Amino acid sequence: MARLIRTEKEVEGRFEEVWIVVEEDPLEQWPEGPLAVVGRPAPRQDGHQRVRGEARYTADIRLPGMLHAAVLRSTYAHAKVQRIDLAPALALPGVRAAIGPGEAHGLVEEAGFAGAPVAAVAADTFAQARAAIEAIEMEWEELEVVLDPDAAVRRELLTAEPRSYERGDVERALAEADVVVEATYRTQTVLHNSLETHQAICEWQGDMLHVYISTQYIWGVRQAVAETLGLPEDKVRVVCEFMGGGFGSKNGPDEYTYVAAELAKRTGRPVRCALTRREENTSAGNRNATIQRLRGGARSDGTIVALDGEFTNSVGWSGWNASTEGPMRMLYDCENVRTVTYGAQLNTPPMKAFRAPGFVEGTFGLECLVDELAARLDVDPLELRRRNYASSNEGTPYSSKNLEECYRRAEPHWERRHEVRTRSDAVWKRGVGMASQIWYGGGGPPSYAWVRLGSDGRATVITAMQDIGTGTRTAMAQIAAEELGVPLEQVDVVLGDSARGAYASISAGSSTLPSMGPAVRAAAADAREQVEDIAEQRGMPKDTPLEEIVAVLEESQILGKGARGPNPAGMSVLTFGVHVVEVAVDVETGEVQVERVAAIHDVGRIINPLGASSQVEGGIIQGIGHTLSEERLLDPETGGVLTSSLDAYRMPTIADVPEIVCEFVDRPDEHLTNLGSKGLGEPPIVPIAAAIANAIRDATGADVHQLPISREEMLRALREAKERPSEKEKRGAPAAV
Amino acid sequence: MELLRPSSVEELDGGILLHGGTEVVPLLREGLLTADRLVDIREVVPRGIHDGTIGAGTTLAELEVEPAIPDALREACRLAASPQLRNMSSLGGNLLQATRCWYWRLGYRCRLQGGDRCHAREGEHREHAIFANGFCASAHPSDVAAALVALGGRLRTNRRELAVEELYRLPDEADRSTTTLESGELLLEVELPAVEASTYLKATDRKRWSFPQVGVAAARHADGSTRIALAGVAPIPWRIESVEDLDAATPLPRTEWKVPLARALVRRALAALA
Repeated sequence: MARLIRTEKEVEGRFEEVWIVVEEDPLEQWPEGPLAVVGRPAPRQDGHQRVRGEARYTADIRLPGMLHAAVLRSTYAHAKVQRIDLAPALALPGVRAAIGPGEAHGLVEEAGFAGAPVAAVAADTFAQARAAIEAIEMEWEELEVVLDPDAAVRRELLTAEPRSYERGDVERALAEADVVVEATYRTQTVLHNSLETHQAICEWQGDMLHVYISTQYIWGVRQAVAETLGLPEDKVRVVCEFMGGGFGSKNGPDEYTYVAAELAKRTGRPVRCALTRREENTSAGNRNATIQRLRGGARSDGTIVALDGEFTNSVGWSGWNASTEGPMRMLYDCENVRTVTYGAQLNTPPMKAFRAPGFVEGTFGLECLVDELAARLDVDPLELRRRNYASSNEGTPYSSKNLEECYRRAEPHWERRHEVRTRSDAVWKRGVGMASQIWYGGGGPPSYAWVRLGSDGRATVITAMQDIGTGTRTAMAQIAAEELGVPLEQVDVVLGDSARGAYASISAGSSTLPSMGPAVRAAAADAREQVEDIAEQRGMPKDTPLEEIVAVLEESQILGKGARGPNPAGMSVLTFGVHVVEVAVDVETGEVQVERVAAIHDVGRIINPLGASSQVEGGIIQGIGHTLSEERLLDPETGGVLTSSLDAYRMPTIADVPEIVCEFVDRPDEHLTNLGSKGLGEPPIVPIAAAIANAIRDATGADVHQLPISREEMLRALREAKERPSEKEKRGAPAAV
Repeated sequence: MELLRPSSVEELDGGILLHGGTEVVPLLREGLLTADRLVDIREVVPRGIHDGTIGAGTTLAELEVEPAIPDALREACRLAASPQLRNMSSLGGNLLQATRCWYWRLGYRCRLQGGDRCHAREGEHREHAIFANGFCASAHPSDVAAALVALGGRLRTNRRELAVEELYRLPDEADRSTTTLESGELLLEVELPAVEASTYLKATDRKRWSFPQVGVAAARHADGSTRIALAGVAPIPWRIESVEDLDAATPLPRTEWKVPLARALVRRALAALA
């Protein structure tokens, strides 16, 4: 029976209370370990389609009669439109329609950042639309520009109320601690730079709006577009068959979708609105910069007694105040913790979720602080982490936690540090560092799937979800194949269209697999049970192959239906892991080379070990960019983005990729769904920056406090290390700061 | 827009010259260059190596595997850009590429664009110059140019012969250009004297597809002299006589880090020649 419950729903570390109809999930979990299909490496089902160029991305779609839109964006970081004249644009060749502030959702009169959308034009070609944009006449009233996050906090220019948390008595604990370390960590703004830029094509057919969009959340787009345009949700169809990356930046529709919808309505033609690469880097979101002023206190036996953090998120003009303090609250068993988190509202492009928002930044600060504590205490960093192992999430039991097992498996990698250090010479210093990972990733209801079986013995999984490039199709096919007892090749997955399937989870917050996987298994089980009924009625033995049973169906079909059951009540569903990193630092030129990364993650049952290791590798590579080379730079005077092209914004290349060793604990979470699987999209990017920074300290004695660890930062830290007393001298000195 | 494909130097008559297109095409797309007429000069400019003379139309990809050229030039080619870009880009085009200064590339009205200020000096300049940066703080991006200056290369154009370093000039109030190339002048060939040893070292912020933060070319010549030229430190390729010359650098607040970096690379380059 369907049950209506009020429950807490978590996405990207943000919680909200919602009503959800949950269906029972009576299936028992499969036994631990590799099964016939699940738990065995499977190449991507759509791999050939992708490399042959047959996979149809939103960027490939060209509808008959389609027009192209271009968007006029503010060049001021803060200004108000005084006058706008679209007539000169409309007079140009090929131009079909033009709209200004307020005429489509997202086109604004007050631009809060350089790159804010103000007006748009639809024309026969994109070049014509661009030319028309140039012709629009504008007068602006310039307003005050605030770019400094500390100044914004002082002036209470905040995107939300500051978030405060406290347990125990931090001040007393710090006063009584044997060792106190204090440091300020800074992380930079980084850009998602999805290969496929944000884009949508909108087409009206009668009163029905078809939206082709590069998105991580088909149903979220449907709901938001319907609400904004005042349409019934079923009058909006959202399609995303293949997409070229999102990383958290494509969780909903933005101005480009509304611009396309409005211009399509005015012209009666399909309209495409696609961001250019420069627009992608000024207007499509970012991981916000942070300032983290941290203190940590410990007893000489290695017990961490106090953690104190003041966090400032440079949110930008809009966005949300991510939980940068999360790791400090959750990672260790520490009695006294106090945090306050400010979200500075600045005249800079808006923050959007970016792969474990908040936790990536917060883990860098916390896990570097813990290593500085370890150095002061003269305790092995791995041992210090074990001594402060948390056995509950602030009192709430974990649905499962195998971080201790991750630490155990990290030992041989950690042991390598003695040998790694001996490979140092006068110029290249080598060392090893580690950092732990905590993050969400449990997913949740609702999510639905259908499985259709025909007399040809093939199964089709139908669900209106999206595959953001993580191998979702393959994993879903594996789950269905396992449950049905058929080879993987006999399963197709149809997804990517809200008109062809039921509601499906967002692909964010590492939730695709843990949300959708159990629904797919339930649907396959429903179909299997029907097949078994048929077999029984025909007197077939129990082990009769499925193809043989369904061969009698002719035009009849078996339709299985499945839903995601509830999350375990009263439990925290979290993911854990540890990275051990080996680096080499050229102490004369400040060059940092990451030579080896061992990543051990605990995300419950692994469905596809090949897909899982790809996720880990991708997360680590993206994290290496975040750690060493990527940074969005703004002109301090105008607030304009300076690094809006791929040559100025430095993402790592394949030559920057180190040896990566992936290991998974691979133990099903016995409390979580019929699969026991958690998500893995985000965990691998969480600990990498701190692990690299800690390896740099091990190699050189230099404390890096800032991302990216550019040569400038590395040379600064090396100079500072040279000038300060050694750790031994420091330990001889009084501990208090 | 029209595209001309002349087959001889004599046919040239204005327009924007195009060889590999790796620089001109992005500039056209960004609106930093405008052209009614593009002139494809691939049939006009010599390509390949003959008796120590390198055609300006030779691609970087061809040079990076060429055993007959000095190490500094081969290494500068190998470390430049990406394989795709090196397959297209010509030696001559590489010497004439514009600065990577983000202000210039975004069309800010800076001094090189005819304006009256250098935005980088007061603004974001961490990748910029440590020498001769008073008027314009841009840093010259060409690895190949630094190598050719250190090697003492000579250029032949359709009008004159000149030392590679004479191709470059510091921009000033009266003349904002960073080269001495005249209108209608075309680079044709580079001639390299034999050197005893040479090297090129490059610091980047990622391993590939990166312009030099600092590039150091050094060559020991037959007369016993050593020539050193740097990329990424001044608006044009920058010659120094010795590592001590770096003491005279005038870095901006956020380019100070380039001085110890340059010092380390120059010492290494000189050590490699010894």
